[in-house]
Amino acid sequence: MSSHAVRRIILLGLMVVIVIMITLVNPVFLSTGNIMKLFQEASQTGIVAVGFTLVMITGGIDMSIGAVIAVTSMVCVNFLSYTHLPVWVFVPISLLVGVLTGLFNGWFITRFRLPEFIVTLASKSILTGTALVIAVKDSMGFVQNVYIQNEAYLWFGGQSFGLVYRATFAFLILGVATQLFMKMTRSGTNIFASGANPQAASLSGINTSKTVIGVYMFSGLCASIAAVFISSRMMTAMHELGIGSEMDVIAAVVLGGTSFSGGFGDIWGTMLGAFFMALIKNVILKMGISPWVQPIVIGGIIVITVIVDVSQKKLADKLATKAKLRKLTAESGQAAA
Amino acid sequence: MEINGENGAILLECRGVSKSYAGPLVLDKVDFSIRKGEVHSLVGENGAGKSTLIKVITGVTNRDSGEIVFDGTPIPIEHSRKASQDLGIAVIYQELSLIPGMTVAQNIFLTKEPLLGHTRLIDVRKMNKMAQALIDKYQFPLKAAEPIDRISIAQRQLVEILKALSSNASLMIMDEPTSSLTKTEVEMLFSIIHTLKAEGISVLYISHRMEEVYALSDRVTVLRDGKLVSVLEKEQISPAEIIRLMIGHKLEETALHHHLVSKNGKVVLDVEGLTSVGKFADITFQLHEGEVLGIGGLVGSGRTELVRALYGIDSFDAGLVKYLGRPFVPSVRRSIELGIGFIPEERRLQGILATQSITRNIGIANLDKLAPIGVVNGKTERQYSEKGIRLLNVKPPNPEHLAGNLSGGNQQKVVLAKWLVRDLKLIFIDEPTVGIDIGAKEEIYEHIKKLAGQGVSVILVSSDLPELTRLSDRVLVLRKGKIFHEFKECVLTGEMILRVASGIVEEAYEN
Repeated sequence: MSSHAVRRIILLGLMVVIVIMITLVNPVFLSTGNIMKLFQEASQTGIVAVGFTLVMITGGIDMSIGAVIAVTSMVCVNFLSYTHLPVWVFVPISLLVGVLTGLFNGWFITRFRLPEFIVTLASKSILTGTALVIAVKDSMGFVQNVYIQNEAYLWFGGQSFGLVYRATFAFLILGVATQLFMKMTRSGTNIFASGANPQAASLSGINTSKTVIGVYMFSGLCASIAAVFISSRMMTAMHELGIGSEMDVIAAVVLGGTSFSGGFGDIWGTMLGAFFMALIKNVILKMGISPWVQPIVIGGIIVITVIVDVSQKKLADKLATKAKLRKLTAESGQAAA
Repeated sequence: MEINGENGAILLECRGVSKSYAGPLVLDKVDFSIRKGEVHSLVGENGAGKSTLIKVITGVTNRDSGEIVFDGTPIPIEHSRKASQDLGIAVIYQELSLIPGMTVAQNIFLTKEPLLGHTRLIDVRKMNKMAQALIDKYQFPLKAAEPIDRISIAQRQLVEILKALSSNASLMIMDEPTSSLTKTEVEMLFSIIHTLKAEGISVLYISHRMEEVYALSDRVTVLRDGKLVSVLEKEQISPAEIIRLMIGHKLEETALHHHLVSKNGKVVLDVEGLTSVGKFADITFQLHEGEVLGIGGLVGSGRTELVRALYGIDSFDAGLVKYLGRPFVPSVRRSIELGIGFIPEERRLQGILATQSITRNIGIANLDKLAPIGVVNGKTERQYSEKGIRLLNVKPPNPEHLAGNLSGGNQQKVVLAKWLVRDLKLIFIDEPTVGIDIGAKEEIYEHIKKLAGQGVSVILVSSDLPELTRLSDRVLVLRKGKIFHEFKECVLTGEMILRVASGIVEEAYEN
């Protein structure tokens, strides 16, 4: 069994242990309502994380996703407040926020060979400001929290069969489709190749720039999709909605086993990671611990996961070297005899 | 058409190809041709222009002038790697050009994956079958569905060859393909080259190992200092002749009369059985006070790895090191404290801080003296820097000059100065004069000699044979990570080193 599979089983096992422990402490945890809410939490992070996984597979990072969520929901709120356009018209338009941000990110990264972190951090800043500028204001010019009453828009945040949140369906469909895309199509293969070895990829005829730009556009799109579900679910939108959520997303993706250095990872892992993160947050809530602890825990999880990753690799290298050495001494021993 | 390529049709023809990288000509009106279905070897010393010629042919760099025709198609000066690949020119790299995390089949068919019917989905089953069919056809020890990370370097080379075959390459360029292969793997590669030849595919073979060139080639082209020296037909090929042509007259002029004299002072460094798996093995030698010990060998023979381990940059797996009679576990910090210096191979990458002044560059290696409590004493730093500039005649002699803006020779002087302002007992020097003009070279040689005269022991790694013979008191030749020969108290020529390093002489030189 690969070390990757082992990791995944450990993660699953850990989740089971946590679930059992929290249920013993607080049986409310296992109520249908709470489980559905947990899934919905996981889905909101997870939708963004699916796009982010592809970015990490190309060896990049996208710090702008949180701000994309903010601007997308601000655009939606503007449409709701000032126009009577139907939802099926303005929601697709709002999703362009993410797509265009991705195009901007990808183009600057590939055209000028800029570090991904800097470019996306800059667009995060630009978008954070934009969200404030375009936010709906009252007559005094103060930013207003808009309460969303449009039934059609609120549909996104609702539950199907009075049970499963629509965000969860969206997440599962998006996740499975993306996983199949990555494994089964040439474009998916190109994304892996561009991340694992850009030089070899371009020598094989892959347009790595186009691939990278496409991936950032997809990442932005995913963040915009998540924005619709989140704002609809909250029935309101603030200009700082989603800002900072990139840490949750990074944690989910890294937990899922996608490599920071690119070329390796899958959506199954990310989905698992998203559920794990939602579980941790839910546990913090259900244990009655202050939600302020959450960012501390998330940061800790990222660090621990990366440490485990690195030391796993080092350990494997060490074992390989030792095996070689043993073989060599055995050979020279034979030669001497 | 005859299979062995003799008088066969021409596949690749270069006429009067020249190339310079801002300065002297690296390729000087080179004529070069490859016939269809022949194995053609390209040989020459480091810097003879082999790699530049390959880069020009494969479109990695553009030539300045000259014509290249491939299979009847003239190749324009503005050429690209992709375009040459589409024409059928494949390069078999040693590693790094495959995608880790993907299977053998995925790598072979990257961007050419078979699709399911009219969909855009990859037909994985068909792809694996096609790959396995290709593998079986050539009887390679591979499995289509195996991940690249789990196979050996030799197997990866085979994947590269299959990848080239599946895209109908008619010329395969193999650059030092055997440098990390075992003996059986080399034999397998040779039989594969014969198969390729039988299919009418031409192979351009580049190697320092004369026995391989001798065993494989239909023709050999010898380059020296960017010029074509000779093209040898099959019956003219002999290892000794090739080496003679490669080195040319240089050995008579500079290298012939250097007589190695042993210095038997105090033992400074005593190395016993030093081994680092995959890099070098069982290295044992002693270094005396004021001695210059040359280390020769081909690139990849473990020279650089050995000095890096001795200085404490990389760790080693087995062996014992004694420094001044005491057991010594190398670590960079300890090495510096104990008066050991290190001049790395890649000057720009590892030697200087390009964006910092000469003063900072010299200061950085002497912070223990300059900043005993953590705060740098600017005045002393400046004094150190001025001393270094004076000592080594750095031009311009301006301590505030940015190191990155100095010429190569002066950069190297700054790197040397870092150590010369200290009290050294031992210094490792790796390729000190690569890309440096003659004048600065001579100055650096003078300093190395002067150091030895002051009792400092020097370990000098170099591919420049005259440099090695001129400066060394003793020369160890490494081959495949082991000390293959020791030259001492004899007349030494560059040719002798090259013969031993490339393996055409086993034990011919007795001291």
